[in-house]
Amino acid sequence: MQTTKGLKLADILTTIVISIVFGIVYKLWGPFYYFVKPFGLHVDQLIYGMWFIAATVAFLIIRKPGVALLAEIAASSGEFIMGSEWGLEVLLYGVVQGLFAEAAFAAFRYKQFDVFVVSLAAIGSTIGSLIMDFYKGYIEALAPWNLALFLLARFVGAVLISGVFASSLVKALEATGVTQMVRSASKEDYEQLDR
Amino acid sequence: MRWDIHYRETWLHRTNPSLKLLVMMSIFILVLFLHNPNVLINLSIGLFLLFFIYTGYPLKYLLLFFLPFFVIFVSTASSMTLFGQGTTTWVQWGLVHVTKESFLRGMHLGFRALTFALLGLIFSLTTRPVYLFYSLMQQLKLKPKYAYSFLAGVRLIPIMLEEFQTVQNALKVRGAGHSGTLEKVKRYAVPLLSQSIRRAQRIAVAMEAKRFSNETKRTFYYRIGFSKYDLMFLFSMIGIIMLSYYAATVFPYIPVTDVR
Repeated sequence: MQTTKGLKLADILTTIVISIVFGIVYKLWGPFYYFVKPFGLHVDQLIYGMWFIAATVAFLIIRKPGVALLAEIAASSGEFIMGSEWGLEVLLYGVVQGLFAEAAFAAFRYKQFDVFVVSLAAIGSTIGSLIMDFYKGYIEALAPWNLALFLLARFVGAVLISGVFASSLVKALEATGVTQMVRSASKEDYEQLDR
Repeated sequence: MRWDIHYRETWLHRTNPSLKLLVMMSIFILVLFLHNPNVLINLSIGLFLLFFIYTGYPLKYLLLFFLPFFVIFVSTASSMTLFGQGTTTWVQWGLVHVTKESFLRGMHLGFRALTFALLGLIFSLTTRPVYLFYSLMQQLKLKPKYAYSFLAGVRLIPIMLEEFQTVQNALKVRGAGHSGTLEKVKRYAVPLLSQSIRRAQRIAVAMEAKRFSNETKRTFYYRIGFSKYDLMFLFSMIGIIMLSYYAATVFPYIPVTDVR
């Protein structure tokens, strides 16, 4: 197969199919989110981080530039097409969150795949979502203590779900062996062959 | 998503999907920078009428679709109303501090969420994904490898749902105990994801074997163009927006023009 620059059809297809799985999760997460919302004091923000997970998981599986952005856009489109409660805004949120996650991975030249980088990407997506909220939700007009709680809850939730949980999920997937189908052969693989 | 519900095809269904998406995106951005509650309320009424009369679905389904949006309205409006900053105090009770400003801002946010929801719902109820992606390829020059990947992915959703059921039954049969939410997500996600990845790889290989390529010149099974319905759509949207502004200046509901 010829080596082309950028993502190949197999990469794109895999990313999008993974994202559609998460699109379903995103859609189901909506009712769960407004179910916990009435508990007040921004408990809901703790679970907000689930909406960043497509980017981190897809990147950890495929490990190529552009995957995180594509995954987040695809997952939000999937959520949108299925009729999300938030309607059109999920698309724009998806683009912004994906861009910021992608930036985090790019900062390490797409060569590091540990919990730290993934958490950083989750934090990036959180910042992206906050920028959108700043325009959409006037969050700066919340009382200061309330805003602090809001921010803390969202950041902590994002790191726990889209950072720590995402990498443990991919570890479990690696155990099934499917990730070897999609990742390009690494240097270690060639060294194994030489042995 | 196309539901298996019988619906009447209206002019909204015949509008060009790319145009519909772009126009709705523009309205979305307009609403993001709209701070006058009077205009916003009018706009959401206009879109609500469009949703109610012209999406072509039976009344009971429309009401069913609309139910969650009502919850969104309340939940979006509540935290700003209860905890927002303001000067004219209405109620103070412990941490809760309702002011006139925070209440208006909260209501504004509620209507904004409603507008976004209506835009999205009108779009997804009146657009078939297949036509959307064909139109994106033809009008907005989306690369075929992305568009067809999406279409293949959308077709996999029913299979995924079936697999979800299988996993659910398998867990039940094996007496899997109760677990936390994240543990549960993992239990379902690992088999669903691994199967999906395998399937995606197979599809990609099959597509390439059948000479799917990234050529720019290609033919399309569905040719999506423009028609008089697109003009109708464009004018009705402009009409709704202009009427909203006009009515807001002539008959304002509340004497506030900026909620910030």
